[in-house]
Amino acid sequence: MTQELSPPVPDLSAPAPDFDVREFARTAVGSHRAEIDLDAFDAEPLSGETVRVLAFLRSVEHATMNHLRDVLVTPSHKDARVTAFLTTWAYEKFWIADALSAVLAKHPSVVVGAQSLRHRIGGGVRAVIDRFSPIREALVANAIGDDVIAVHMTTGAVDTWLSQTAYSRVEATEPHPELTRVLERIREVKDRHLQFFAAQAEFRLGESAGARALTRKRMARAALPVGSDYQPRSEVSYFFSQLFDGAQQLLDEVDARIQALPGLDGLTLVRSRYEATA
Amino acid sequence: MAFDIDRFSETSVPVTWTDLDFSEFERTPLPEDSLRALRYMCDVEYHTVCYLRDMLVTPSHEDEDVSAFMTMWNREEFWHGEALAAVLGAHGITVDFDELKATRLKLGWKDRLDPVKQSLLGNLVGKDFIATHMTWGAANELSAVAAYRRMAELEQHPVLAVLLKRIAQQETRHVAFYTTQARMRLERSKKAQVITRFALTKAWGPVGSTISTSEEITHVFGHLFSGAAGLTEVRKLDEKISGMPGLAGLTIVENAMLKYGIDMGDEALVA
Repeated sequence: MTQELSPPVPDLSAPAPDFDVREFARTAVGSHRAEIDLDAFDAEPLSGETVRVLAFLRSVEHATMNHLRDVLVTPSHKDARVTAFLTTWAYEKFWIADALSAVLAKHPSVVVGAQSLRHRIGGGVRAVIDRFSPIREALVANAIGDDVIAVHMTTGAVDTWLSQTAYSRVEATEPHPELTRVLERIREVKDRHLQFFAAQAEFRLGESAGARALTRKRMARAALPVGSDYQPRSEVSYFFSQLFDGAQQLLDEVDARIQALPGLDGLTLVRSRYEATA
Repeated sequence: MAFDIDRFSETSVPVTWTDLDFSEFERTPLPEDSLRALRYMCDVEYHTVCYLRDMLVTPSHEDEDVSAFMTMWNREEFWHGEALAAVLGAHGITVDFDELKATRLKLGWKDRLDPVKQSLLGNLVGKDFIATHMTWGAANELSAVAAYRRMAELEQHPVLAVLLKRIAQQETRHVAFYTTQARMRLERSKKAQVITRFALTKAWGPVGSTISTSEEITHVFGHLFSGAAGLTEVRKLDEKISGMPGLAGLTIVENAMLKYGIDMGDEALVA
């Protein structure tokens, strides 16, 4: 029965041919609240350190609209498969942030430095940059063309690899059965995001020398985790040091995955973000 | 009336159609004109992500409630596209992602520069521009509800009517969000009223008019809103829009229909 043994031939003319975007949309994971035993955190609260890291992660998970804005002003918005994916991705991230909010709400006495989205942009230089960045991005990226989609897909992959590593690191540093359950649910949701981003990045980088050069250049100055440029520096720094001091090899593992993508050899993106905040 | 964004988010679900008997479309297929209108609506729903983009380039996204709403709204509209694509599929018309991509590519430079224009305008005007976006969204969602209800009425198709009512039901919640936001923001700023009135008068067009040819718009809206009955519906829409603070007397929908040559009888305004 050779027929059964041979794998289905993927359609290589499309990026991420094995990823069924419609199926992903159909089976999107919404609110996690019913599955979380919040009382477990009354009985056994989390440490202040973990709460502070989770508050940071909550903020970056929540900031999808900011990221979408920068992506959608570029040719990425033309690709209906990509936008269909991002529509569900934003929905699932919304509920991931909500799950973290529920856990955080159980620890009101812990003062965290991370600001919520609502208070983020008060004024000053950052606000001005934020206001005008889509204009710059629209002009630059539209002149570049489709290669910019590779940048967005690679950014998605790298960001998800980093956050998956961060969640598993939180589990390791704070053994707490209910927290572990919550974070495992979150990681499961994000695993599907990774499948799409990684397959898209792999394909698009493999196809185009322009995409490889552009992605290399753009990734060097990308904010990682995505959205961390909207968070106070102190919290980005706390996130990296709390989770990865003494465990830098985990960051090297993420970098190794990035380096395995076409044209991205030699990049130490995640390690360099850690070192920059030290 | 306050809009409960948490409740909206918690209860936001894709519209369902798998429980409906689509084989009815084999027995009673929809006429050509209706399919053409459905195709238009389907495209509009799928392109919501492009409107989302236009909203995100202005200060709208800084508000946490607005950003939560946009996440859910964008997804619900995507599912409306999927549902309508399924109806078209039952008639042998395929709407796939590659085709949608082709439509978006056809939009060309005008579309490419749009975020720049929006962003400049929105940021120069600042927070007051959110009021304009919210009013604009309200006008679009109100006309979507009217279009779906009207189509269900005209068609009298047992399966299509149920599906369109379900879609219209979800659009009603979008209307509630946009009108609540628009009212609140218009009420507290005279400047917002002036800018919104100006933008609606000068630039508003029926939802989908930026992604379609004028011939197509004339066909679709002619199918839905021609004659005295159409005029009644159109005026109801204008009444709701002009009832918002600072927008008294606006007749943007009626004007737009006339601009596209929709014959709504002698009662209609002169274009």
